[in-house]
Amino acid sequence: MASRTVCRIFQRRFASAAAAQRPSLAEVRSQRNAVFSREQARQRALYPRIEKIEVSMQGPGLDGALLVMNKGMSTPLSCARHLTEHHVTNSALALVDGEPWPLHQPLTHSCSLTLLTFKDNDPTLVNEAYWRSCAALLGQVLETAFKDDYTVELLRTPEVPVLSGAFCCDVVLDPHLDSWTPSEESLRSLTRGAQQLIHQDLAWEPLEVAPSVALEAFSHSRCKQEEVEQKASQNPKGTVMLYRCGDHVLLSGGPLVARTGLCSQYEVTALHSLGQGSWGLHRRAQGLSLPLQLQAHHTVWRKLRQRAEKLVDVPGPEVAAPPSPPNSPQLPASH
Amino acid sequence: MRLTLQMLISHGRMARRMGLGPRSRIDMLRNILTGLVRHERIETTLARADEVRFYAEKLVDYAKKGDTDEKAMKMASFWLTEKDLVPKLFKVLAPRFENHSNSYTRLARIPNRQNLDRAKMAVLEYKGNPFPPLYPAKKENELTLINQLLKGYREDRAQQLDTKP
Repeated sequence: MASRTVCRIFQRRFASAAAAQRPSLAEVRSQRNAVFSREQARQRALYPRIEKIEVSMQGPGLDGALLVMNKGMSTPLSCARHLTEHHVTNSALALVDGEPWPLHQPLTHSCSLTLLTFKDNDPTLVNEAYWRSCAALLGQVLETAFKDDYTVELLRTPEVPVLSGAFCCDVVLDPHLDSWTPSEESLRSLTRGAQQLIHQDLAWEPLEVAPSVALEAFSHSRCKQEEVEQKASQNPKGTVMLYRCGDHVLLSGGPLVARTGLCSQYEVTALHSLGQGSWGLHRRAQGLSLPLQLQAHHTVWRKLRQRAEKLVDVPGPEVAAPPSPPNSPQLPASH
Repeated sequence: MRLTLQMLISHGRMARRMGLGPRSRIDMLRNILTGLVRHERIETTLARADEVRFYAEKLVDYAKKGDTDEKAMKMASFWLTEKDLVPKLFKVLAPRFENHSNSYTRLARIPNRQNLDRAKMAVLEYKGNPFPPLYPAKKENELTLINQLLKGYREDRAQQLDTKP
């Protein structure tokens, strides 16, 4: 254990020494993209012959519908396209044999399929996926929002229950920015960046990869590599899920919803600093969002927004304790 | 339209004029009311439905007096032209509305008649009938995203109020 800590410290020293000639953001992104595209092409080439699978649809008004789809090629979204436009626009996540399944991931076997929406009787799974996706979107905005001179390191995204009122994204900014306190305008410009991504209606493309590929994709980021190793050891199959949204490749702890266009109201509400951590000054960006199907009146939105400005406490071993006593009491996750 | 009694009197009109005369009007309303008691939900023009509604409620009021009451029986046998419905009125409708004090019927507008004269149409029904509801049932789901957010907000507020004093 001690040797590992020493190793880690040395690596960090080395990384900070190498930061002088670190590659620019555009290079890093294009390299990640290239790795992602290569792996995606390789996985698609695994099914050279078109084979048919039978997908039985479950859901209101769909019981007994049987679709004959292509193995390794058809996604739950293409099944939805065989139904109605309502299914295409409103589904956020799919349930394949009872397991949550991203909407853009190809089906590999005959199965029963349920399309989940935000207005189901029990939308807990979709809510969690939506919260995770909004945090991913926030990370994407934060990575591109700053000038090229400033490096932005996205840390592990904490899993926050919806009841806590805001989704979070932990980030370490360039050491030059340590004294910077974000003003209202800068939060608003972050919001605008997110709105532009939402307007582009980008898909979150999932890809299940072996840890070696993920390590190659994140070869520039030490903390991402650690996260990859940790996720791979936790996963029984030993694989990790990568997602790509536009040209941003990210690592996710669970399924994300189908597209960015599902968000309608989106706002970055706060950027708190959590104090010095192992990678530098940790900051926590928080936001609030609601999907297109469930929009709030502006009075309700204002109240929720005020609550989302408070720092969300995340229990976890790696998270540094906030400098001031937490002003938002931890809510029990009762779902 | 029946707005208030004063309005009607001031305009010199006590009621709608329907049919060929008072006798014809009563006969028409009797037939419609018989249909209403038989089927429990009928579709007719808005004017007729609105007129029948008053008599339909009054008839249930009489039926609640019981089938031994002389006046109630007289009313039932006058307003129900098909006599097999008289037991239904006393045995089914009267017990159903035992706890209701008034408004035993429900009236809903439907699109105007298209094929004939574009008359205003309506659906009239006795409440508590076995048909699917006229209006979609409002779905309240505590688990949707926005309701979960609001639930968290409410819990937060309650905690703040508890700690303040």
